Amino acid sequence: MAQVLLKDLNKKYDEVHAVKDVNLHIRDKEFIVLVGPSGCGKSTTLRMVAGLEEITAGEIAIGDRVVNDLPPKDRDIAMVFQNYALYPHMTVYDNMAFGLKMRKFPKAEIQKRVQDAAEILGIQDLLKRKPRQLSGGQRQRVAVGRAIVRHPQVFLFDEPLSNLDAKLRVQMRVELKRLHDRLETTAIYVTHDQVEAMTLGDRVVVMKDGWIQQVGEPLELYTKPSNRFVAGFIGSPAMNFVDVGIQGSDSSLTAQGTGIRLAIPPVNASQLGPYKGQRVTLGIRPEDLHIAAGGDQAGYVFDAVVDVVEPLGSEILLDVKAGPNSLVARVEPTVRLKVHDGVRLAVNPDRLHFFDMTSEKAI
Amino acid sequence: MATAYLLLAPATVLLLGMLAYPLGWEVWISFTDFSPLNDHGPRFVGLENYRHLLADAEFWRAVVVTVGFAAATTLAKLALGVAFALLLARPFRGRTLVFLAIFLPWAYPASVSVIGWYWTLSPPIPTAYSPFMGTLKYTVDGALGGGAWAFLSVTLFNIWRGSSFIGVFLLAGINAVPPELFECALLESRSAWRRFWLVTVPLLRPFLALAVFLSLTTAFADLANVWLLTAGRVVFPVVGTQAYWLAIKGGQFGPASALSLMLVPFLLAVLALLFRAFDPPAEARA
Amino acid sequence: MVIERPWKRWVYFYIPLTLFVIGTLFPFYWMLITAIRPDAELYRSWRAVNNAPFWTLHPTLEHFRDLFEKTTFPHWLWNTFFIAVISTGISLFCGLLAGYALARLKFPMAGALGTSIFVTYLVPPTLLFIPLADIIRNFQLGNTPWALILTYPTFLIPFCTWLLMGYFKTIPKELEECARIDGATRFGAMVRIIFPIAVPGILSAGIFAFTLSWNEFIYALVFLSSPERKTVPVGVVSEMIRGDIYFWGQLMAGALLGSIPVALVYSFFVEYYVTGLTGSVKG
Repeated sequence: MAQVLLKDLNKKYDEVHAVKDVNLHIRDKEFIVLVGPSGCGKSTTLRMVAGLEEITAGEIAIGDRVVNDLPPKDRDIAMVFQNYALYPHMTVYDNMAFGLKMRKFPKAEIQKRVQDAAEILGIQDLLKRKPRQLSGGQRQRVAVGRAIVRHPQVFLFDEPLSNLDAKLRVQMRVELKRLHDRLETTAIYVTHDQVEAMTLGDRVVVMKDGWIQQVGEPLELYTKPSNRFVAGFIGSPAMNFVDVGIQGSDSSLTAQGTGIRLAIPPVNASQLGPYKGQRVTLGIRPEDLHIAAGGDQAGYVFDAVVDVVEPLGSEILLDVKAGPNSLVARVEPTVRLKVHDGVRLAVNPDRLHFFDMTSEKAI
Repeated sequence: MATAYLLLAPATVLLLGMLAYPLGWEVWISFTDFSPLNDHGPRFVGLENYRHLLADAEFWRAVVVTVGFAAATTLAKLALGVAFALLLARPFRGRTLVFLAIFLPWAYPASVSVIGWYWTLSPPIPTAYSPFMGTLKYTVDGALGGGAWAFLSVTLFNIWRGSSFIGVFLLAGINAVPPELFECALLESRSAWRRFWLVTVPLLRPFLALAVFLSLTTAFADLANVWLLTAGRVVFPVVGTQAYWLAIKGGQFGPASALSLMLVPFLLAVLALLFRAFDPPAEARA
Repeated sequence: MVIERPWKRWVYFYIPLTLFVIGTLFPFYWMLITAIRPDAELYRSWRAVNNAPFWTLHPTLEHFRDLFEKTTFPHWLWNTFFIAVISTGISLFCGLLAGYALARLKFPMAGALGTSIFVTYLVPPTLLFIPLADIIRNFQLGNTPWALILTYPTFLIPFCTWLLMGYFKTIPKELEECARIDGATRFGAMVRIIFPIAVPGILSAGIFAFTLSWNEFIYALVFLSSPERKTVPVGVVSEMIRGDIYFWGQLMAGALLGSIPVALVYSFFVEYYVTGLTGSVKG
């Protein structure tokens, strides 16, 4: 049980600056997820915490100890790898017992801990098998089991679910969450899948190009993305972006794009005032678009043409064109529309996002 | 980092001691008149040994023979090896037997199978089919000079053994290429010949390069097999056998060192070619 | 597949192939026949009628018996075995450590060192035997097994390093990282996790190193002189050919006995060998 502190962390390879000035305070017992596209530095950060990569500059502390110069074995951590990294020449039992044996635990204690972990994960029957005799899901469990027998201060997960098929991934996701609730051990989890990040994390860290973009609770990231990248990365289907110009007087600002014109809701008016006469990026989530009905105010509707219809059962995704802009709207499954049909859409005025064109920061 | 050097130490020490040092010594000796038969130690003679060599008709003869030998055997081995590999890449009845027949010449120790060849091609004692082979041998020797038959048998032996190696090696290369690529090519062009040159050869390029390189170096440096098959009848000397005569039989280490060092430029030229083939320009890498 | 007429397939495919197979395998057959042919058939007058040139009606094991009773062949077997085992052991040890370092550890000049080891593999004995002869002479090791035990690693170490480096690269590095997190040192992870997993690779490197030294000819020819000190390949050639007299029967018997085991081993492990080589090509 420990907090983890990353201070001004940097990693440079010969030509690549992989991690840039990362500062992060991971609280005790917290489940934190690092998420971002490949090459964003999330895995490198995790590997530096593990001690598998040298730290170019900055400091990592686990508990009260600065661990910069400690070898991995002395950091009291456990890690689960994407390819499971089970030792192929050992049985499941020996795989799980390896770390304890290396630490010279008494035999009875090893036995007890492995049994307990096996029970938690439901793999008691597999203890005598070799890894190659296991299915992907079973291997995954063994890899997790090997991590938990050690009762480490911190769990590190490096994309542990990416090698599983979609169904198993959802199932293991739930189990990992349950496991964390039960063990209450600090965990750092790396993934490129934003759904995994949102469902698992107490807090989520979004990274890109080595920089931390935003740290926050899942819903906070979703409702208040701090910049355009986070807005586009979190949420599926992704947020729609439209280039617009801010026009009008202070009391009634409008966002004027090609083929689309919306009133600026009062909540945004004060921040957007200084942008009058300039161009900004307007962001609308697909679920904040719906087929216009009588109750919608005139300023918040626009006309579009249906391009593609994707019925998903519980909902329909409408790909529409408003002038040159392509947008996706998530609408009720009862809507009956065909390709090339005209459609009038309305936005949810409380949930519009605006981003500066140059800095890409939220306005 | 210290671990790395520690782990490399044993190999490096042995290789430096038994490889780098001897090579350096050889370079030095090639500038001296050193011979274990002399009373005095090595005396520096400058480029004398090399000057002698370059003026020596025997040396140029050996160079021509060596280069010709290397080129001829490599071409033949490559052609046969590619044919073997393509043949074995497809299933047919009796494939296992053919694989064995192709594989065995390479797997079998050369120093021993070479004797089998000598016995097969030039039986010196009248036996079995020797009248026929004897006639053949004397005809060839009569036409091309004494020892021609023996030399021809060296060439044949080298091809026999080497093409089997290249065949097995390229087969592994073909198996490493995803079959979709060949199937896709099948849809693109009807001509097997065009497919071979446009698809198979480029895909196998790194393997071909290494095969050519191994073949050329072994041919340039072939001493054991030439020695065994011609057994001192040095009518067609290669650089290797000449050096052996000079050094071991004649005790003239200086000239002999210069002689074997003359192989280095050839080896380096081939090595340079190989690295070009291994590191193709960026456009070809994808 | 295009359907062909059966006779066409025979004429253009199977018959040439059969001829080819017979041609390739003939020298082996010829060695075998010679080894079991009685002397009376081997040495005969030029014009005597030979009714069975390609086989024998009186097979005999006489040559094999002579080999063991009248020559130092058993000594050669033992010498070859002894030299091959020790030089393989040394080379395997060096190659294991060096191959691991080159495959796994990041350090300056790693690439250059790897390339230079690759290149040393290709330095031919033709270039080396002269200076090595002098070194052996200076250390007074001539005509002892140690002359060969020290020189064979010059080609065995690069070979083992090369092959094992390729093998280590196929082992996911996460295994080792996991072991290091689990409480092993770098060295501990290497010994307890990587080496056990690499056993097939180590085995094949060892076997091929063994056969390479078993078959070596030039160094053995140069460094050994007394008959009972020789190795099989040199002994067979130098001791059973006296001037112009070839003891053909014994020669072939010795050649067969001394190399059949090696040929078998090769055939058995060809997959490993080729995988090792191609692994190094794919880099």
